[in-house]
Amino acid sequence: MIIPRKTSFISLPRISVIAGHTFTQLVRMKVFYFLIIFAVLIWALKQFVLGTFTGGDTASEQQLRLLKSTSYFAMNLFSIVMAISATALLIPKDIEDRTLYTILCKPVPRLDYLIGKLLGVLLLIFVSLIFMDLLLSVMLHYNTQSLIASEISLMGAGGNSEVLQERITTLNAHGLTNNIHYATLVIFFKAAVIASVALLISTFSTSTIFTLILTIIILLIGMIQADARELILKASERGETSIISKLSMFIVLVFPDFQLISVDDGVIDGKIVPKLTLLKITIVSFFYVALYTSLSWFTFRKKEF
Amino acid sequence: MTDSGVTRDIAVEVRNLVKSYKSSFKRQTFQAVDNVSLQIESGEVYGLIGPNGSGKSTTMKAVLGLISPTAGSCRVFGADSTRVDARSEIGFLPENPYFYKHQTSAETLRFYGKLCGIRGKKLTNKVNELLELVSLEHARDRRLGGYSKGMLQRVGLAQALIQEPQLLILDEPTAGVDPIGSREIRDLILKLKSQGVTIFLCSHLLEQVQEVCDRVGIIFEGKMVNEGTLEELTEIRNQHEFIIKNASPALVQDIEDLIANNQQAEVVRSGKPRSSLEKLFIDTANEQKHNKKGNKS
Repeated sequence: MIIPRKTSFISLPRISVIAGHTFTQLVRMKVFYFLIIFAVLIWALKQFVLGTFTGGDTASEQQLRLLKSTSYFAMNLFSIVMAISATALLIPKDIEDRTLYTILCKPVPRLDYLIGKLLGVLLLIFVSLIFMDLLLSVMLHYNTQSLIASEISLMGAGGNSEVLQERITTLNAHGLTNNIHYATLVIFFKAAVIASVALLISTFSTSTIFTLILTIIILLIGMIQADARELILKASERGETSIISKLSMFIVLVFPDFQLISVDDGVIDGKIVPKLTLLKITIVSFFYVALYTSLSWFTFRKKEF
Repeated sequence: MTDSGVTRDIAVEVRNLVKSYKSSFKRQTFQAVDNVSLQIESGEVYGLIGPNGSGKSTTMKAVLGLISPTAGSCRVFGADSTRVDARSEIGFLPENPYFYKHQTSAETLRFYGKLCGIRGKKLTNKVNELLELVSLEHARDRRLGGYSKGMLQRVGLAQALIQEPQLLILDEPTAGVDPIGSREIRDLILKLKSQGVTIFLCSHLLEQVQEVCDRVGIIFEGKMVNEGTLEELTEIRNQHEFIIKNASPALVQDIEDLIANNQQAEVVRSGKPRSSLEKLFIDTANEQKHNKKGNKS
C-alpha cells in the first residue's frame, strides 16, 4: 500500500531552494546593472563635485557629508525600488505564467514558497548593499585621509597641534566608522519591511500595478506617520478627539513606522548610532517582517488558482 | 477489484465533488463541478474527457489541492488532497506548461528535484535520465525561452516524473507535440503503467485516450454523465465485426450472401480497414530516416 510521505510544515532546505532560485532569477533580469550606475555616480561625484568645495573649516566636512548623502540616497532608492517592484512582480508573474501550479503541485507548503520568495529578494538587496557599502567605505576612507593630509599641510609645522588634533577627530568622525555600516544595515531592514508589505499585498492583489501603488502609499504613510502620531497625541492631550484622529491612530497602529527605521540622516551628520538604538531597530524590523509574512501566509494559504 | 480478482489500492478518490465560484459581487454562483464522484485504482490509466469548460481542469485542480472543494472530498492514496503530504506522490503536467524562461531544462529539473528533497548524485543521475527519456539531452543547457511548445511539453513531462511519483496527472499531455513526439508520450504512458504508476489524464484527442486508458469518465457541464471501461463504453451491442486477412473475393461474396439470406441481420459496412493518418505519418517518417541512414552508410 502506498502511503504519502510526510511533509514538514516548514523546511529550511526547501526555502533556500526557492530563495536561491528567486535570487538567480533577479540577477538574470540584470538588476546588478544598478551597481555599475552607483559606481559611476560615486566616481563622478569625486571627480567633478567634491574638488570644487572651497573655503572655511566646514568645506571638508561638507565634502564627506555630500559623499555619504548621495550614497545613502542611491542605496535607499535601489533597495526601496527593488523591495517593492521585485516582490510585487514575482508572485503575480508566477500565477500568470502558471509556474506556480508546478511548484505548488510538488510537496511545497505555501509558507515555504512565500518565505523563499521574500528571502530571495532580500538576498539580492543585501548583496547589492554590501557592494555599495564597500564602495562607499573605500571612497570615504580615501577622501578622509586626503582631507586630513591637506589640513596638516595647510596648518604647517608651526600650527596649533590641539586645533589640528580637533580637526582630525572631527574629520574622522565624518569619515569611515562603524556607523556607516550600521546605516547600511538599517537601510536593509527598511527594505525588508517594505518587501514584506509588498508580499502581503501581492497575495490578495489582482494586478502588479495595484500592488505597486498600494505599497508606495503605505511607504509614504510610514514615512510621515511619526509626525501624525505626535499631532494626534497633542490633540488628545488637549481633549480633542475626532473621527480623523481615531482613524489616524488606527493607521499608526497598523502601518510600519519608517521614520523609526532610519539612521542615515544622523550618520551623514557624523553622529554615532547607539547600540541600543540599533538593537531596537532590529527588533522592530523583525517584528514587522514576521507580522506581514504571517498575514501573507494567512491570505495565501487558501488562495485558489 | 481488477479483472483478475486482485484487490488494488485506491489512488484517487473523488467523492461528491462540488465546486462553485461566486461572481464579483457575489450575486451569482457558477457551479463548475456538480457532484462528481470517481475512483482510480492504483496502476490504472484513467481518462477524463469532456468539452471545454465542462469541469475537467477544475476536477484535476481539486485532486491536486490547488482549489478547495465547496462540498465533497478528494483523496490521493488516502490523504486529503488539500494537505501538502498528498502531493509527495503526485507528478503533474499542466496544459501548456510554462517554466522560468531564464532557466535551462537541466536547471529546471534540478530546481523541481530539489523542491522534492532530492539532492547530490541522485539528483544529477535523475536529471540525466529524464532528459534522455524525453529526448532533450541536446538542448539541456539552452534556456527555456528559446524552446518550442513541444519541447516545453517534454520538459513538463520530465519535471512531473522527477520524484518518481506513483500518480501522474496529465492535462492535455500531447498538446503542441508533433505526431512522433505524441506517439513517444503515449508509449511512455504505457511504460509507466507497466511499472505500476497510476495515470489520470485529460485529453481532447479521443483516439489517444482510447489507446491508453483502462477506464474513461465523460464529464459534461460539470456532471459526470458516463463512466466505465473502454469496452463497456465503446461496445455497440447489436453489431459484430470481423477483420479477415487474405480473404478471396469469393469468400467475401459467400459471407455477404450468407448475411443477405438471414432475415434479421444486415451488413452495415464492409470494405478494407483504413490505417490512421498518424500511423501513415510515423511510418513515412521512419522510412525516410531509415533511407537517410542507409544512404550515409
